[in-house]
Amino acid sequence: MSSEGVLRLEKVIHTLMATSGNKNINAKLVLLGDVGAGKSSLVLRFVKGQFIEFQESTIGAAFFSQTLAVNDATVKFEIWDTAGQERYHSLAPMYYRGAAAAIIVYDITNQASFERAKKWVQELHSQGNPNMVVALAGNKADLLEARKVAAEEAQAYAQENGLFFMETSAKTATNVNDIFYEIAKRLPRVQPAQNPSGMVLMDRPAERVASASCCS
Amino acid sequence: MSSSDSSLSISSEDPSDRNHDLNPKSIEDQLASTSLVEIDAQEPEDHREIQNGVDYASAGEGSHHQEIENNDEEVIVDAAQEELPSNFGVPGGLVEVEEASMGLGRGGVVWMRTNSELEVDRPSSPSSSGYAGERGSSGASSGGVSGTDEVVEDEIQEDRNDAVDDVLDSQASWVPGKRHVDEDDASISWRKRKKHFFILSHSGKPIYSRYGDEHKLAGFSATLQAIISFVENGGDRVKLVRAGKHQVVFLVKGPIYSVCISCTEEPFESLRGQLELIYGQMILILTKSVNRCFEKNPKFDMTPLLGGTDVVFSSLIHSFSWNPATFLHAYTCLPLAYGTRQAAGAILQDVADSGVLFAILMCKHKVISLVGAQKASLHPDDMLLLANFVMSSESFRTSESFSPICLPRYNPMAFLYAYVHYLDVDTYLMLLTTSSDAFYHLKDCRIRIEMVLLKSNVLSEVQRSMVDGGMRVEDLPVDLLPRSRTFPHLGQHKLPTDSPDRFRESYAGVGGPAGLWHFIYRSIFLDQYVSSEFSAPISTPKQQKRLYRAYQKFYTSMHDRGIGPHKTQFRRDENYVLLCWVTQDFELYAAFDPLADKALAIKTCNRVCQWVKDVENEIFLLGASPFSW
Repeated sequence: MSSEGVLRLEKVIHTLMATSGNKNINAKLVLLGDVGAGKSSLVLRFVKGQFIEFQESTIGAAFFSQTLAVNDATVKFEIWDTAGQERYHSLAPMYYRGAAAAIIVYDITNQASFERAKKWVQELHSQGNPNMVVALAGNKADLLEARKVAAEEAQAYAQENGLFFMETSAKTATNVNDIFYEIAKRLPRVQPAQNPSGMVLMDRPAERVASASCCS
Repeated sequence: MSSSDSSLSISSEDPSDRNHDLNPKSIEDQLASTSLVEIDAQEPEDHREIQNGVDYASAGEGSHHQEIENNDEEVIVDAAQEELPSNFGVPGGLVEVEEASMGLGRGGVVWMRTNSELEVDRPSSPSSSGYAGERGSSGASSGGVSGTDEVVEDEIQEDRNDAVDDVLDSQASWVPGKRHVDEDDASISWRKRKKHFFILSHSGKPIYSRYGDEHKLAGFSATLQAIISFVENGGDRVKLVRAGKHQVVFLVKGPIYSVCISCTEEPFESLRGQLELIYGQMILILTKSVNRCFEKNPKFDMTPLLGGTDVVFSSLIHSFSWNPATFLHAYTCLPLAYGTRQAAGAILQDVADSGVLFAILMCKHKVISLVGAQKASLHPDDMLLLANFVMSSESFRTSESFSPICLPRYNPMAFLYAYVHYLDVDTYLMLLTTSSDAFYHLKDCRIRIEMVLLKSNVLSEVQRSMVDGGMRVEDLPVDLLPRSRTFPHLGQHKLPTDSPDRFRESYAGVGGPAGLWHFIYRSIFLDQYVSSEFSAPISTPKQQKRLYRAYQKFYTSMHDRGIGPHKTQFRRDENYVLLCWVTQDFELYAAFDPLADKALAIKTCNRVCQWVKDVENEIFLLGASPFSW
């Protein structure tokens, strides 16, 4: 099968999925933040339900996908878990370009990681998509006794900058699914509502055309 | 691979293949003999150590004791080889310098430079360089021998304390990552480590150190920088400093200096090659454009840029002692039926035609198949560094990833983008592209490749090959003896993997026919090598490392521009008979029982070459280079 054929078939499949009644939203989501803030841990908790105490640092960026059902839609997240290492900063646009959502992660026990998070917010505001849903995650919320960043301070910062804020713990799973769920709810819905009765009629011919060209 | 019809014969004209007893002894020669006898006296103890199973490669805390340990075996090997004729009568060159330093005694420091062979005789004291060669006792600088002995005794004791733990450790359990971060150049343990690697900037700022915290080593780095710039100010370049049994090797690449301080007795060329690889690994992570940071700010601190890469460097340094690719500059393939490899190659070729620069399918450090876009060729060193980077970084195993990497031999200035995905626990696919937007395309390519590999059973064949292993010296066809089988090819060995070892343990010294213990065959046109599986009596990682070191030394002497290149070399010491044979098409390195018969050994080497040719379809990736067919 030619790659063109594959592409067409994929389109058909997407359309078929759309006919299943629920809205399907594909959303690119990027995680940004300082080294060791817990970006990979958050993603692994969300995608695989795992937690590793000594998570190795990410190289470049790791790709995950996870689907969430929200009331009115199914959201398929394509998640880019970027490396926090300084050498990858200049490459970050490659990963956040075209993203519908971002989670900026800091470590509540590390003031510097909060400062770094603010820099990411600025960068997204100046470079990123203005409609991007941006969440601020204060991770490692289980380490209360080592807290360096007050929740109120982060909350206030988030409000000023139009982000929504949650404290999370990948270790105890607190608020991890919630933050992704909240993003899914806030994603702009693809407008307008597709005409449910007309869909079937419109799509069938398209499918036939596609499969015909595929086999020819 | 063209089959060479020449064969190695006993009567080959080989200048180095002489009994050293026939040579008139030079003073150095006699010195070497003396030291050989001296160390010989310790031999039983060394052997006991081996029996105890003290392994070099061990995990966690246990390992540093081996690192500190003065490896007596290596000293013996060296002393014995000093006697060999090939090292003598050489006008100029490194060999002479080294011999001179032997003559000067342990306190002598020899400077080796590019333009001149200036020798500076200077007593080494801890304060002169910041680094003490021997600091075992206060009298070490004058009475070098006794000082060394003291250190040796210390270290052996330390070893015994840990012998029990070490038995449990093996190469497989080696854990990458930096250890002993708490040390600095004031720590005795740090100073005793056998092999240090440093990267520093031209302003003397530490960038990387194998042991200890870089930031605490600022003073030490500045000293290294001072040595380099002192010589540079004289319009010269420092390459090697010998201080007693320590060698300090320098590699200057623009604003980045790499230094190795080693008492492992490895040849200068090998250590320099290792520095080149370490530098290359750094380029793979950052590209050479990092030099620009130093143009803007000479005092630029590079350590943050390498954050999180300690595992990459430590695993590369570890591979210097187990992976022959690090000195052969060749890669090795996983043995597979010809058709299986063809099937893998075909689907990789398919994606390479769709805009992928390189498609590489590997199982651990062995290549399954590899395809490059037109005119793009991949240097074996780049493959080594890339595979090391991927295998040492745990994060690649978690999910598919897309990361910038640079292939230093392909283009040191530019990043490529690597899509990396593990197909099973050891098998991974790397798709390299120049386009930073290609992720989804590469992901689709991977899905297609994975489907084809599953359908054509490539992945299960790979698993099977991993279990079966490669060529075994025991399987070498022996046509004249009654026990011979007709060309037992790979995977057709009759005995289970572990039983021959147990069987042979009682007969130390019996491996393959004629006392053949191990071999490495490197095809020059293919840039590939094949190495036999280790079996008794070379069964522990420590023994394997020692054999690799011996090969490495052999390789260096075969490729020495000053005295070489040789066609054949035959060396006998108390550990091995080593035989090397170089033709236009291949290089063969073989290790035999030290009591092996020379004529028989030569005959066996011919058989090995024939055997390799018979199974080349299975052990090599053919058609990957323009020279092969």
